Amino acid sequence: MHVLQALGEMLIFPGALYGLIISMLLAWLDRKLVAVMQGRVGPPIYQPLADTIKLFAKEDLDTEGVNPTLAGLLPVVALACTMTAALLVPVGNHAVISFQGDLVIALFLLSLPTLALFMAGWIVPSVYNVVGGNRTLLQYFAYEVPLLLGLAAPAAFSQSWRITDLMARQAGYRWFVLGMPLGFLVSSMGLIGKLERVPLDAPHAKAEVGAGPLTEYSGRKLAFWRLTSWLQTVVGINLMIAVYLGGADRMWRYWGLGTYLLKMLAYLGGLALVQVLYARYRVDQVSRISWRVLVPLGLLQLLVTVWLGA
Amino acid sequence: MSQITLPIGPQHPLLKEPMALRLGVEGERVVSAEVEIGYVHRGIERLMQERTYLQNMVVVERICGICSHAHATAYCQAVEALLGVAVPARAAAIRVLFCELERIHSHLLWLGVLAEAIGFTTIFMYAWREREHALDAMESISGGRIAHGANLIGGVRADLTPDLAIALGSALRTIEERLGLFDDLVERDRSFHRRTQGIGLMTLDLVRAQGVVGPMARASGASYDVRVDAPYAAYSWLRPPVPITEEGDVWARAWVRVREIRHSLAICRQLIVSLPEGPLAERVPHRVPAGEAVIRIEAPRGELLYYIQSDNSDSPARVKVRTPTLPTLMALKQVLPGLQTGDIATVVAGADLCMACADR
Repeated sequence: MHVLQALGEMLIFPGALYGLIISMLLAWLDRKLVAVMQGRVGPPIYQPLADTIKLFAKEDLDTEGVNPTLAGLLPVVALACTMTAALLVPVGNHAVISFQGDLVIALFLLSLPTLALFMAGWIVPSVYNVVGGNRTLLQYFAYEVPLLLGLAAPAAFSQSWRITDLMARQAGYRWFVLGMPLGFLVSSMGLIGKLERVPLDAPHAKAEVGAGPLTEYSGRKLAFWRLTSWLQTVVGINLMIAVYLGGADRMWRYWGLGTYLLKMLAYLGGLALVQVLYARYRVDQVSRISWRVLVPLGLLQLLVTVWLGA
Repeated sequence: MSQITLPIGPQHPLLKEPMALRLGVEGERVVSAEVEIGYVHRGIERLMQERTYLQNMVVVERICGICSHAHATAYCQAVEALLGVAVPARAAAIRVLFCELERIHSHLLWLGVLAEAIGFTTIFMYAWREREHALDAMESISGGRIAHGANLIGGVRADLTPDLAIALGSALRTIEERLGLFDDLVERDRSFHRRTQGIGLMTLDLVRAQGVVGPMARASGASYDVRVDAPYAAYSWLRPPVPITEEGDVWARAWVRVREIRHSLAICRQLIVSLPEGPLAERVPHRVPAGEAVIRIEAPRGELLYYIQSDNSDSPARVKVRTPTLPTLMALKQVLPGLQTGDIATVVAGADLCMACADR
């Protein structure tokens, strides 16, 4: 029975199947929100699914001069890492796996796909892929530290690196975002960088480097990369909700799920709003803003938290 | 760090029309630039020697999909100069009306392309949405959205009836209302400033040396606008103000163009109110006496020059078109080296290149 339950959690809820469905739904909602804010109609709800099916149905091409094993392996590794991270980050109140230090492991698992993406660009002998891959790596160094610093403040305050502990500390609407708004903003900016969303989407700036590291990819491999990116969005939002927004509050008896969903939509709406409101940063501007603004702010938040907590 | 060649074009998401930039890149910095054009050469100048003057009206409008009316106007003026015909006042005014509507939609299109190049898709969508109003207005007057077919040799074919004038007025109001957004973008939006200010600097010396014209030149402090410096059609009494700034960067080009949209709207409104009465066109002969004519007009991108040589037949002996994009390309070749790769798109999109015009 225990094995069956574990399998069910991994494969169905809140693991692979649920993760894919919710990530496609959020991908659609994201596009729809942006479209509506821009005065467009936007895609129908099944668009991400249709895209995925189409990509899977296409011929699996091997790019000339690329090691086919590596090109095929990287997206699988990326998706697997993201899915594993999805098991560590609570969906609502419930994380499949939870242990001391899972926050660090989740962040580590979330950073592997970025490195895989860089490699996917680097192994293709095309300028756009290589330049896009380089930018992915440059941006990785820029946003990863703010993201970690931003998430470190609540962890330091709670004196625990376990996500469920952080959620427990926020019970009764004492959300960390209220006490540590700076940390929330810094880590949100880091998350935007990780997800390569506007304004930090220089690695795949269409007018400059085409699709960036994924320029020469199509078919199944591209589908895996897409799914990875969509799932990363979900995991990232879940992480922010758990660490900063109090996870699933119990407003009334069974309304935890409702508040959780509301927070998810609100956070996604925020991301979409940022996408609508800003122009893209250049890669060097990303680094500068990260190290001159975000990192100091994150450190400040951490110091204040530690000082007040002590 | 070793140098790699970053090819942009002939097909690239940045480019709306085919051209090729071969950029030598070291890390994130451009060290050399080659510009290749000719991918949309259709031999239009030669074709025009094979067609009659009247048939050529259709051909010239198809040189460019954005400034089609500017080409048609320049061509008509050149033929009229050869014939010694003066167009009626009402025709001259309607030509100018179309010129200004075209300027509005061309500048809005450019703003959208620039916004998309810097990843600001919202402005791209908004700019192109407002552009539709100008296109719709032109379609309702002449029947053509892109190739308007508004001109005739000797006058115009499309008339601005009172009904159409009312519709046009409301379209202009709509554009004007929403233009405030683009004013805000240029004047205040920091994320726009971050990507455009100090980027792609063109000095006045470079502008003069390469003969850059139009908004590109006016953004570098060159006070030159054919509408004012050598007025034609109804511009002799309209006298549009010429916005000039000296920064010479992509931001300045945006500033100049947004200002020009405002002035163009004012001219259109003035024309609706004070449209001269009278006939729409003069009758002209098919045969054009031998001679040469050079005509300059201010297309949305700057000075457009037409040279026509006639030989007392019903088709031109030689047509030469000089478009404003060509000097811009020459200047671009000098501006690109030294840029960050992230700024290539900004500068190229900000140059408002019209390859179909340049290649013909």
